[in-house]
Order: sequence, then C-alpha cells, then structure tokens
Amino acid sequence: MDTSRSYLEPSSFSKKLAATIIIVYTVITLIPISWMVMTSFKNVNSAISYPPEVLFEPSLEGYVNLFTNRSRQSQEYLDSLPAPETWYEELVRSREMVITGPSKFLGRYSNSMIIGFGSTFASVFLGALAAYAFSRFRVPLKDDLLFFILSTRMFPPIAVAVPIFIMYRKLGLGDTHLGMIILYTVVNLSLAVWLLKGFMDEIPKEYEEAAMIDGYSRLQAFFKVVLPQAMTGIAATAIFCMIFSWNEYAFAVLLTQFNAQTAPPFIPTIIGEGGLDWPAIGAGTTLFLLPVMIFTIILRKHLLRGITFGAVRK
Amino acid sequence: MAKIELKNLSKTYNKKIEALHDINFTIEDGQFFVLLGPSGAGKTTTLRCIAGLEKIDNGSILFNDEAVTEDQPASRDVCFVFQQYSLYPHYSVYENLAFPLRSPMRKLPEGEIKTKVENIASMLKISNKLNNKATQLSGGEMQRVAIGRALVREPNLYLMDEPLSSLDAKLRESLRVELKNIQTNLNATILYVTHDQAEATTLADKIGVLKEGHLVQIGTPEEIYENPNSIYVSQRLGSPKINILPGTLLGMDDVPTFGIRPENITIGNGNHSAKIISIENLGSETVVALNFKDQEILVSIQGNYKSSINETINFDINNEKVLKFDQEGKRIYER
Repeated sequence: MDTSRSYLEPSSFSKKLAATIIIVYTVITLIPISWMVMTSFKNVNSAISYPPEVLFEPSLEGYVNLFTNRSRQSQEYLDSLPAPETWYEELVRSREMVITGPSKFLGRYSNSMIIGFGSTFASVFLGALAAYAFSRFRVPLKDDLLFFILSTRMFPPIAVAVPIFIMYRKLGLGDTHLGMIILYTVVNLSLAVWLLKGFMDEIPKEYEEAAMIDGYSRLQAFFKVVLPQAMTGIAATAIFCMIFSWNEYAFAVLLTQFNAQTAPPFIPTIIGEGGLDWPAIGAGTTLFLLPVMIFTIILRKHLLRGITFGAVRK
Repeated sequence: MAKIELKNLSKTYNKKIEALHDINFTIEDGQFFVLLGPSGAGKTTTLRCIAGLEKIDNGSILFNDEAVTEDQPASRDVCFVFQQYSLYPHYSVYENLAFPLRSPMRKLPEGEIKTKVENIASMLKISNKLNNKATQLSGGEMQRVAIGRALVREPNLYLMDEPLSSLDAKLRESLRVELKNIQTNLNATILYVTHDQAEATTLADKIGVLKEGHLVQIGTPEEIYENPNSIYVSQRLGSPKINILPGTLLGMDDVPTFGIRPENITIGNGNHSAKIISIENLGSETVVALNFKDQEILVSIQGNYKSSINETINFDINNEKVLKFDQEGKRIYER
C-alpha cells in the first residue's frame, strides 16, 4: 500500500476519476466544434450527405464562398472567358460560377472586432475606476448604489429592447459602432464593477499609500500599483465582457443593418445555391470562434497567476 | 531633514471613536523619536496623520515651522516604512528601490537613480538580490528593502511603523543596531512607533508614551525609566516589570500605591522577610519571585542566585527608588 502521500492530497483513485470526468466532458464539448470545423473544409455535397462523412476530401470551397459573391453562368460564357488567374477563381469556375466581388463578411467581421474589443476595453476601464472608488472611498449610499448596479442585470437586457430601439433612433445611435459599444458596455459594466470590486478589496491599501508617500498622486498610484496587481481580475473580467459582446445576437439584429452589423447576425444570412451553404457557414463560425479563443489563451496566464497573488505575509 | 512640530492634534474616526486627543510634541532635526504604547493607543494614527494619509480634525502639523496640515502626502516629502505589505509585489527589488526616485515630483536621471539604488543596496547587504522579484525574498530581506526604499531619498522625516515587529528575534536585533547606525550616520529625523520596550530604549533619543490617544509623558529613555509620571508609564519600560504594590505594605498609609523596580530590591539581609515562590535563571541575571504578605514581588539579582523554593529569606527595598502614586495612578512627587 502506498503510505507516502499526505492526508491532504487526493487519492490516486479520485484523481483518476476527476481526470476521466474532465476528458469525457471535453470530448462531448468538442464534438460540435470539431464538426463545425470539419464542415468548413467540406464541399457543399459532402456537407449534407447522409450518412455523414467523417473522412472526406478537404476543400477550401466554404472559405472561398464566405469571402466572395458569385453568380452562375452558362458553360458557353465560361468558355469564352480567359483562363482563371487564381486558384479560387478556378475553384469557382469548376462550379460553373464566376466571382462578382468580395462578400460583406470581412466588413462584418471587423465590425465585430471594433465593437467587441471597444466595449470590452470600456467596460473594464470604467469598471476598474468605479470598483476602486467603491473599494476605497467613503461613497454615500455605497451599498444601495452597488445594489442598483447589480439590479441592472436582474432582467434580460433584451427586455428593454423596444425603449432602447426608440432611444437609439432619436439619438442617431442606431447602426453605429459607437452605439453598439455603448450598449454592450452598459450591459457588461455591472458585472465588471462587481467582479473588480472583489479583486480591489483584496489589494491592501498600504500599497497605494506607500506610492502616494513615495511622491505619486492617487491616480498615478492607481495606474502604477493597483492596476498591475488587479491583472488577474482584469483578465477574468475582460474575458467575460468579450465573450458577451462578441456573441451577442439579439441587439445586433435589432439595431444594426449595414454600417455596424456584426458577424453573428450576418453568418446565418449566407445563402448558397439551392439552400444554405453549410461549408461557408462552417467557415464563418470557425473564423468567428478564433478571436475569443486567442484572447482567452493570451489572458490565461494572468488567470493562473492569481494563485500566487500577493507578495506579503498576511 | 527637518524639525517636526505637532500642535493640538486631534483625530476622531467616524465622529465617534476618539483616536488622538490634543497631541503636542516636537521632534528636533536629527532626533530619533519613539512613540511607545500598546496597540490601540494611537501610535499608527499619529504617523498616518503626519504622513497625510489621514485628515486631522483639529490642530496643525509643522515641518520646519511651516504648516503642512493641508498638503497631499506626496508633497510632504516624508518616508513611511509600513509594518507589513511593504513592497510592490509586481516589481523587482531594484524597481522597488527606484520607485520613489522615479516619481514625477523628482524625475532623477536614470544614472543617478542607479548609483543611489546600488549604494543603498550595498549598505543594507542586498546587492545580490536586486534582480529578484519582491516575492522571492525572505521576511528579513523584504523589510530591509522596505527600509532601503525609505533611505534611498532624503526626506523631511522618516516614519516607521513597527518595521521590525514581523521579524524573528535575532534578525530584529541586528537590524535594530543597523538602523541606529544608519540614523547616526545620516543624521536623520525619525519618528518610530513600537510597543517593544527594548527597541524604544536602544533606539530613542526621546520617547513619547501614548495612552488611549493621550500623550502622557515625553522624555529621554532614562527619564521615562527613572522618573515616570504615572503607573502606566512606569509599566511601559523595564524587564522584569516594575512591582506595583499597595502603600500599606511598607507602612505608608498616605500612599495608595507605590512602585519599585526589581533591581532596586536586595536579597540576603534587610528588615523584611518573605518566602521564595520561584527562581528564574536568565544567565546574566536571576529573577526571584517572593511572597511578601500575600503580594508577589519580583527581584532581579546580578549573576546566579542559589536558593530553593519555599525558603524564607530577608530582603531590603531601596527607599530612594520607591515611586509613589496616588489613587488615579498619578505620581506623587516629594516636596
């Protein structure tokens, strides 16, 4: 019998059990995602074939269709054209079509980027300032204000869609980047304030007091000493805010049509010949997944660093 | 360095709890001033008021005869060594030491910062740790860096809030000696807070004794020890503790209480007799506890003392060293 382990350490059986559960969960979670990625590399026929094809010949048709607008032409017309110059033109020609121009996807995608990162930055920045104030200063009616901030999340945001729609039309904020950034920031802000306040409370006020005595103003001390130590909380908050504003669908459908439309309402509108172009939709969702994934991976090391938080003895 | 004056300083927390009451004292330029008192006496609050971290309700604070009462902490140009949470954990030791010099108020050139940091580091024997993260230091090293961060600039005043209390005994002693040497060499003005009497007597030029927000006595360590103005002050200094006994024990019916320090009692001959309760040999001295008319009296004897418990012996009290106190514990001075 192995008697060397400490009483506090879990037994090897429970470790194995935990690992098994995690692996099973991961596999279940990954099935739809990997199916989506696979679909993006299929051609239109193999994407809808029955029984579903697990092994297939990979094709970039989905990605080409995602980024281009095409029109079907007669064989005589295609023959009269000069030879295709690029591989994607050739691919489109083989489907008896020609490229008529770029699709709107890139524009929608960059709208998502601008609005997603813009509102994440605004929520975290404003949230950090508010959380610091709530954590350090004697704010009149502090508890009531904090409850009020929390209460803005007690109903689904879409419940106020109609007033916001009317308000945005009157203010000229409909279908603008600024309007969407403000909207997502407002929705995320309560979460940001509450999350960050917890982290700010954990930071001993001696640090910024020391900085203030060392010749810095309170605001300088906040940026030099408090913010770096709140990195863990900022990373966690940023990920939550980013995921919300990146994935948000309902408001985006309601408030944006052309100028500021984000990717989520755009992707389902991709229609191919004779129905939905599943490889193109797969390609769109795969590309749509990437930024949040990369963002989370980059910030992950700050999340892990939370374990070693604090350099001083308590 | 500067001369620091506190005039009628009062501070109340939340309009209810009185932390400081009418505090008046002056720290001369180059003086090592120690505030002594148990926790809750208002020592730290005094430091925080001087540093500008707390707003005061009444009175004024003067640096070199100029009022700084309304100034921001940064512009008062003082240093503060905290009891704990002393280093910025996200910086290296070098960055921690350079931080005050990089302040927008000073804006020293990088070369000058480097020289200053390296000088301080070698003085505090932490040169080999400059590139370490603050989190990778031992408790003693952390506190030395914290003291170094204060010493790296030449402020009006150093404020130190029990800087050695979180260290082990050996380290505390060596840092205490180091600190006194540094202070003498730099001719620094230091206001130091402690509840440790050994630190107070070894470091201080002057001691101020605080009791529940009142400054009850100021004097040199000798004055506080030899000539305390109350029972409270007499109990702050001295180890083993002063004996506080009813006056009737010595036939002084007009004196409610008197105090006599253990080293002012001699054993062997004398006109009182008592039973030995315990003998504690501390090496250089021996502390003997006596039962005298149902009162415990501690006696300190130089060197070793051979006797046994429950033995009855004679002892004598040095009457010149008897401190008499009235009903409220205030000193009764002989006319």
